[in-house]
Amino acid sequence: MSGLGSGAVAAGSTPLPHRSVANIRSPHTSSNVNPSTPASSSRPLPSSSFGSPSSLRADEDILILELGTRKLQIGFAGDACPRGTVWFTPSQLRRVGDFRDWSSESKTNVDWKTKKVTGERWWSRDHELWEYDVREADLGLIGDKVERALREALTRYMLIDSRPRRMVCVLPSGLPLPMLSAVLDSLFSRLQPPTVSLLSLPVALTVGAGVRSSLIVDLGWRETVITSVCEFREVNTSRSVRGGRLLVEQTHKLLAKHLPENQKKKADNTSDNAEDYDLSFEECNDIATRMVWCKPHLSSPAAPKSGKGLPTLHEQDESDVAAAGSSTEALKTVRIPLRSCRSPTTIELPWEALAEPSENTFFDSQYTESSFDDHELPLPLLVYRSLLHLPLDVRALCMSRIIFTGGCASVLGLRGRIFGEVSKLIEERGWDGVQGKGADQMRANPKLRGKKGSRQASSGPKGVTSPSEAVENREQDGVWHDAANTTHDVCPVEEQLKRGQDTRPRVQGRMRAIESVGAWSGASLIAHLKAAPVSTIEREAWLQYGAAGASKPSEVDQKSARQSLGPGGLIRGSAASNSWTLGVWGMN
Amino acid sequence: MAPLNPYTYIQCPCSDSASLGRPSDATSPTSAEADDEDNTFDPRAPRANFSLYPLEYLLYCEDCHQIRCPRCIAEEIATYFCPSCLFEVPSSNLKSEGNRCTRSCFQCPICIGPLSVTSIETPPSDPNLLAPDRAATQHSTYSLICSYCNWSSTEIGIQFDKPNSIHAQLAKIRNGGASRLTAKERKERRKELSHRGGEAAVAAAAAAAAASETSGGQDMDLETQFANLKLFYNSQLADPNAGDNGFSSLGDLGFSSPSSLSRIMNLYTGGKLHDPRAKSKLGAMREAITADEGLLEPDLDESSLISQLHRSDFLDTASSTQVCSQPPNLGEPHLHGAARFNSSLRPAPYLLRTKRSKRCPVCRHIISKPEAKVQTTRFRIRLVAGSYIPSISIRRLNLPGSNGPGAPAILGDLLEPLKPVHFLLTFKNPIFESLKVTLGAPAKTPGRFPSKVTVLCPQFDIDANTDVWDEALKDNDRESSGRSRRRAGTESQFQVEVGKIWERGRNWVSIVVEVVPASLKLEQGQDLLKEDEDVLEIPMFVRIEWEVENGGDDATTGSGRDKDQKEKRELAYWCVLGLGRIKQG
Repeated sequence: MSGLGSGAVAAGSTPLPHRSVANIRSPHTSSNVNPSTPASSSRPLPSSSFGSPSSLRADEDILILELGTRKLQIGFAGDACPRGTVWFTPSQLRRVGDFRDWSSESKTNVDWKTKKVTGERWWSRDHELWEYDVREADLGLIGDKVERALREALTRYMLIDSRPRRMVCVLPSGLPLPMLSAVLDSLFSRLQPPTVSLLSLPVALTVGAGVRSSLIVDLGWRETVITSVCEFREVNTSRSVRGGRLLVEQTHKLLAKHLPENQKKKADNTSDNAEDYDLSFEECNDIATRMVWCKPHLSSPAAPKSGKGLPTLHEQDESDVAAAGSSTEALKTVRIPLRSCRSPTTIELPWEALAEPSENTFFDSQYTESSFDDHELPLPLLVYRSLLHLPLDVRALCMSRIIFTGGCASVLGLRGRIFGEVSKLIEERGWDGVQGKGADQMRANPKLRGKKGSRQASSGPKGVTSPSEAVENREQDGVWHDAANTTHDVCPVEEQLKRGQDTRPRVQGRMRAIESVGAWSGASLIAHLKAAPVSTIEREAWLQYGAAGASKPSEVDQKSARQSLGPGGLIRGSAASNSWTLGVWGMN
Repeated sequence: MAPLNPYTYIQCPCSDSASLGRPSDATSPTSAEADDEDNTFDPRAPRANFSLYPLEYLLYCEDCHQIRCPRCIAEEIATYFCPSCLFEVPSSNLKSEGNRCTRSCFQCPICIGPLSVTSIETPPSDPNLLAPDRAATQHSTYSLICSYCNWSSTEIGIQFDKPNSIHAQLAKIRNGGASRLTAKERKERRKELSHRGGEAAVAAAAAAAAASETSGGQDMDLETQFANLKLFYNSQLADPNAGDNGFSSLGDLGFSSPSSLSRIMNLYTGGKLHDPRAKSKLGAMREAITADEGLLEPDLDESSLISQLHRSDFLDTASSTQVCSQPPNLGEPHLHGAARFNSSLRPAPYLLRTKRSKRCPVCRHIISKPEAKVQTTRFRIRLVAGSYIPSISIRRLNLPGSNGPGAPAILGDLLEPLKPVHFLLTFKNPIFESLKVTLGAPAKTPGRFPSKVTVLCPQFDIDANTDVWDEALKDNDRESSGRSRRRAGTESQFQVEVGKIWERGRNWVSIVVEVVPASLKLEQGQDLLKEDEDVLEIPMFVRIEWEVENGGDDATTGSGRDKDQKEKRELAYWCVLGLGRIKQG
């Protein structure tokens, strides 16, 4: 040890070339610099060109960072997919040099139970970055978690040095401002990017699908968020707690029910503590991603049914057909080995039971519509309602650009099921927000219905959907439009203008799902195409003012504030004098 | 419960809560306590785990005289290399080829073991053909085989024609053996299309579009869709008719700009009824319409996958750790982020690694620099903190008087609650100057179960780390000079005295800490014990002072400016001593 040290010391006493270079770069003598807070030193670090030949290019590299509740994805702008994905796990919360997770003992079955801590959701809490409830959040801890995950990603996957690079951060648009502020604090003080640009997740997804308007169904971990995007603007958002976390908890419930020890117990008493867990989160999460599937939606109901009491009817119907279609298959059981329970065992589950968690999590179709609270609407209803809330023209655009994303979108059959059920809801109800007996009576009574009512009524029960009407209308329009064109077509200038334009009509008014390359890749496209992000925050401005320095988005003149993300496009002088915003996150 | 070896963690001064900015957790009980006790460091606070490091992880900047932890270090990359073949990768490749080894180094997708290329012996179709030249003429194929779990790439239907450049071959094969176009080939094909002049091109493009619309949906993988989208957006942005506001509305939240106003107006007044001349001014970028432009309609009917899942066993599906260790697969159609079956896993090329040199972020001096050669593990410069700040080792002290029948204390023994225990802390001075050490520890450890701590000798000097032989030669003198150096043999001297050093050596000093462990009895309504809450951890503030003589032995004076006088230096930091587990119940 001392030999190493003294060797280094000897090297230090002679003026080595690298030191002299360093001294040229930073004229401050080392003795009078207080080194205690290197991060906050106001002197900008020279973006040096030591050693690596790639130094010139480093400024061009833009890092794209997508933060979710459970994972962080990072890569370079222009790449098709992120280079690295880091999941937030409990082992990240340990101290450096604590290798307990690697010991064979940590794999034993009951060890996770000793981690039991206080508070709600201790079961899954360490696997998440944040909870949107800011009241209990430890913002510093969130910053630390982001920093550690980011460092791991940078070292393991990105393989880049710690030279400052511009960053683009893709964040869910519902992120509370304190959390955003914690993340930005951590980024700016620890990694020292010159600027951080913010992009909202739905917009990045929309760009990633190649459209300008869309309905994003983000089947996320913490909650499902449905966002309508019109012309790259988020116009409406609705959410439901039915997300991945609930799915894993439902999976746990299913597995725990089938545990031999619990089946014995059930004979004794049925009361079960909801906060008690028999299996570890890791195992349930694993099984949920591996085995859980979703029953398909019956795409073509044989007979049209009345809208009233639909969900229960529908459920019954489905199970009948499923049983009929696969009466032999239904008997098949799936053996699942469980290791985290008190005594490792293998349980046998009927194949059908593995569809229960997703059924209970996303649909809960055994209950009536009125029994749900606003925060726990079943997903088809949520999609339908958020479409209903949209203005007519926006709805026409959005309903034919439905993008499913998020972790739970990989539950087999779930996307198709939601899509089918929403289509069915639209078919049955049309675009009428009024439901119930009174409304039905009103529709049935010819005396009561007015002009508009008659139209709605005819579209409802008969299954003549308004989308098809819209299509009809468009066709009518199209005919007329053609006629108009023939009269005006003589002008050669117009012909010239029209050549480059696309005359194909936009798809609208019919249900259609499209695929996005993903939020990260969408952001990568945006950064690659050098489009201006909603908000770009400069490091100095943030360190000086924090979130309070941001001005309201409406107060900023976008034309002057806009900066190009391209190399050299950033004019520092003008940018510094400009006010900056936090985009959607700083709205209120 | 695992026995606990005593440990020492050091908090890097860079992560003082003050320097981290906002007092974020004002509501949480831990910080409230910290305020009461005048900013005692709480090793149990969740944030503490992010700033504590073992001594071995810390470096030291000689010019700033400061500890540097992995969080406050600027890194530069010396070499990129593959950990499997130890082949050095030029940094220019990294951007274009990605962060994985592009030779033939692969990890098993099942067990992460290294894969090796093995030729597959096809069973001879004609058994009586045993001519000697048969082996030479036979066209043999190769596969990747894991020598640990016996996984073979034939299980996922992948075989190779050549035993080398597996990476390039693998990029062209889908699981199951179907071939796919790589990005380069696609680009060339596109170029070919555009080069063909006139009507032929239009016809070909139309045909291609038609073909891709029918079969494209299934064939379109992530990479293709991304490339198509990129091309589409580029063409749209380059289109003079599209105006300048392709993505501009991304930045437009207000409706203040005239272009967004006009576009919104156009949305409502526009449509087919609108005057075509006005429409030409609209100039918004249009949407992607065909698959060639990146629009992809997913196949929402996943019943085939469901029935595949139905047929397969639990063990046929890929576990989440296996999926996580897969590289992002550009070649597959959307699986919504995850491969599900073992058959859809692919061999993972090794992630490249780096050798990094580290600089102090403040003064830019190098504090660690590895040899550039991949094969060597030596460092040219490495200023580890262990050779600048005293190390602390912990031993349990068994006093014959206090602990009954002087049974030797075993490390990792459980601590008896409410019974005083003595620990011996040995501070070892690594530098060539004598150190003055001041310790500070809270009388009660923070947390739910406060144990009482008394540092019996909070202030002492440690002699310099002189040459071992000097010490050996001087040994007799010291003995006679009456330094309080205790010997293990003299039992009568085993008595704990306040303010006295327990034992002293050439460059080390031992002191005694008395601890009364708390009782871990839970009262009614209290929460259960958290993980490691039974470990007795003492936060301790260590302040060391030393004087640097300039001129003579300039061990620590890299920058000897003022030659005449002695320079006084100090360093202060929190550290955490983990002493042992307290017996429960």
